[in-house]
Amino acid sequence: MDATLRFLRRNGAVLVLLVILAAVSTAAPGILRWRAINSLLQDNAPMLILIVGATLPILLGCLDLSIAAMASLAAVSAALLSPVLGSASVPVVVGGAAALGGLQGWLIGRLQVPSFVISLGALGIFKGVAMYLTGANMVGITPGIWIYDLLGSRSFGMSNSFLLVLIVAGLFAAMLKFTNLGRNIYAFGANEIAVYISGVRRDMVRSFAFATSAGCAALGGIMMISQTMFASATVAGSLLLPALVGVVVGGTAISGGVGGVLSSLIGGLIAILIRVGVTISGLPPESQDVAFGITILIAVALTTDRAKIGVVK
Amino acid sequence: MTAFSLEGISKRFGEVTALDNVSLSLNEGEVLGLIGQNGSGKSTIMKVMAGLHRPDSGVVKVGGRAVQLRSPAEAALAGIGLVHQEQSLIQALSVAENLFLDKPAGSTWAGVYRWNSLRDRAKAQLDKVELDIDPFTPVSALSFGQRQMVELAKVLSLEELVHGHLVILFDEPTAVLNPPEIQALFGQIRRIKHRSSVVFVSHRMDEILDISDRVYVMSDGRNVATRDRDAVNPDELYELMVGRQRVNRKDRKPREAHIGAEPALTLNHVTVPGEIEDISLKLAPGEILGLIGVQGSGAETILRTVFGMADDWQGKIEYFGAPLDIDTPAQAVAKGIGYLPAERKTEGMIRNTSVSENVAITYGWQHGRGAGLISRAKERGMIEGWVRKLAIKTPSIAHRIDNLSGGNQQKVVLSKWLFGKTLKVLMLDHPTRGLDPGARSDLFAVIRELADQGLAILLVGDTLDEVLTLSDSIIVMKDGRVSARIEGVQAAPPSEEDLVKAMV
Repeated sequence: MDATLRFLRRNGAVLVLLVILAAVSTAAPGILRWRAINSLLQDNAPMLILIVGATLPILLGCLDLSIAAMASLAAVSAALLSPVLGSASVPVVVGGAAALGGLQGWLIGRLQVPSFVISLGALGIFKGVAMYLTGANMVGITPGIWIYDLLGSRSFGMSNSFLLVLIVAGLFAAMLKFTNLGRNIYAFGANEIAVYISGVRRDMVRSFAFATSAGCAALGGIMMISQTMFASATVAGSLLLPALVGVVVGGTAISGGVGGVLSSLIGGLIAILIRVGVTISGLPPESQDVAFGITILIAVALTTDRAKIGVVK
Repeated sequence: MTAFSLEGISKRFGEVTALDNVSLSLNEGEVLGLIGQNGSGKSTIMKVMAGLHRPDSGVVKVGGRAVQLRSPAEAALAGIGLVHQEQSLIQALSVAENLFLDKPAGSTWAGVYRWNSLRDRAKAQLDKVELDIDPFTPVSALSFGQRQMVELAKVLSLEELVHGHLVILFDEPTAVLNPPEIQALFGQIRRIKHRSSVVFVSHRMDEILDISDRVYVMSDGRNVATRDRDAVNPDELYELMVGRQRVNRKDRKPREAHIGAEPALTLNHVTVPGEIEDISLKLAPGEILGLIGVQGSGAETILRTVFGMADDWQGKIEYFGAPLDIDTPAQAVAKGIGYLPAERKTEGMIRNTSVSENVAITYGWQHGRGAGLISRAKERGMIEGWVRKLAIKTPSIAHRIDNLSGGNQQKVVLSKWLFGKTLKVLMLDHPTRGLDPGARSDLFAVIRELADQGLAILLVGDTLDEVLTLSDSIIVMKDGRVSARIEGVQAAPPSEEDLVKAMV
């Protein structure tokens, strides 16, 4: 009995994925075709990379609410920079985003303000700056730039954007498992004070986590424009909720210390299937957000460690 | 006439017996002084009386009638009020709102304050304690002394709400007060005696003797003596407080040979505003320096300052002859300084993680492959070595630390510091707090062995016994200052009574 429960808890996300997949594919068998899967993964690669990046702050017990706004800002910036910098616009934008994310992480410790407030402020700033840069218009990307063409195309029959998601997720998973930094991230999420008193540089750990989530968000924005060739100040705005749903449904606890990048990837696949499920069930697209809202409530209620946070507010 | 009594009260918290069959009776109009060491059960007894804790067994009687005090509100209806040790006022609210926050009749109409009535009633309460402030002043604008008076006024407003006799409990009210404020408080206590009984807890013997009619001594969760003021012999009270926890002298052996000549750590006139003042000390490799003082004496602050956790300090700290200029624990650890915090559950152990992650968190990287890569395989052998050496009882090193006993948890947290190759100074803050005697003596042996190997150890002890057993030198702290220094403790141990005198 105990063993069954443990098995369920450990593999819950995979089981949920399989159940939803079974339900969705019964309703629409076409979804199991390679082409359909491929195009789903390609369309959703930006969301998946956001989910991968958002995992690290959540492992610390923090929350980065600025990722979707950052993705939009990065898309806009990349489009505007592409005529001048060409392929170099991608590393410049991702690097700049990582620096802004790192600054957010550092500010949390410096100002002693909760991460959701800092990143909510950043959300507003990024959104406003993106609006200002575009004048609320669509901006097109200069065609024929190698790196955007690469991200928009396929290798071995798979979307290059999705392959990049797998590579980044693999790197993060290895970092979490094999490096001292990874150990510190989990321990930080379990008990920040004890980790601080153990001599871990907590500001550095936090800055790193927020730098990666912002960097991944920027990559997500770039993936979006490499598919659509256009960017606007709100292009990725709707990705915040599904990204957070992906992380917590995968089993990374919002209170920190438990979970991982690969779990989040599973959660991301669940989020994709929720989208598909809403569409094929004939509900209007607006109900996607309702479905995500309900899912995140259930997932957090099931995974939060209330003993650790003491008071719920 | 007995106003209030406890009969055979026991209270346990997990494995710890906080109160063991305690009885106490309080006469009308009497001030009872309650004394005892840290952890002797003083605060628990107050909390039982105030309805904050429910006893596991025993009877509480008010005016001769057995009652159940299920909450502070029920205690208040029975005429019992606790003046809190830690300030319980809500800083953002006004004095008037705070005064009536916990009262059923709070000058409201349909949930909305009637401000004029509230002001008048608050004014009347403040007049009682002779506090001349606008009732609508926010609490955050008051001094600590004024806040303590507001706390008192809050409890005294029971006078209008309850008809019978009152019991007013003071849990270390003087800890944050200066001498004139203490005298003002004592004036209030004498004033309310006509219709109240008072229980007064303090660490300071002179205050107890000044204000009390009777003195009640606690030790190890038991009442060891009750004395009328006229029959009090202060020296006897000191002895009773220290209790039966005598130092086991056969454990002692001279360790002078191990102590290095050059100091590892030197503090020169170190001050942390409001916490410690003008602290100077020297600690040599191989030496165990014990710090002792009552709660709030500043001993813990010294450790935290050296470990880079004080926001603001003045003075000079030298580390092996060079100035120590750090402001985070990470920098202290990089220099070779370790710190075992007193709060094991919140600051020491990393909960919900394994024994091995707890041991490896600080120095695991030193046994890795370089470039930030760790080697769990290599760590495993070494962690298992420490588990054997410290006799840590755990099914495996992958076991969650939460599931170990307190003593074993503490050993895991300690081994975190021993796991590295660079530790030179180890600071232990109440290392045996909450441990049973067996785990304590295990830990004592480890600490001594570490010192013998050349580690410099700065120890804040839970009890006199602990500090006397372990230390080569002792510094006694009182109110943030050094009140006594004793060298050569193992050769010529000071009496526990002398130490207590320097503490209180």
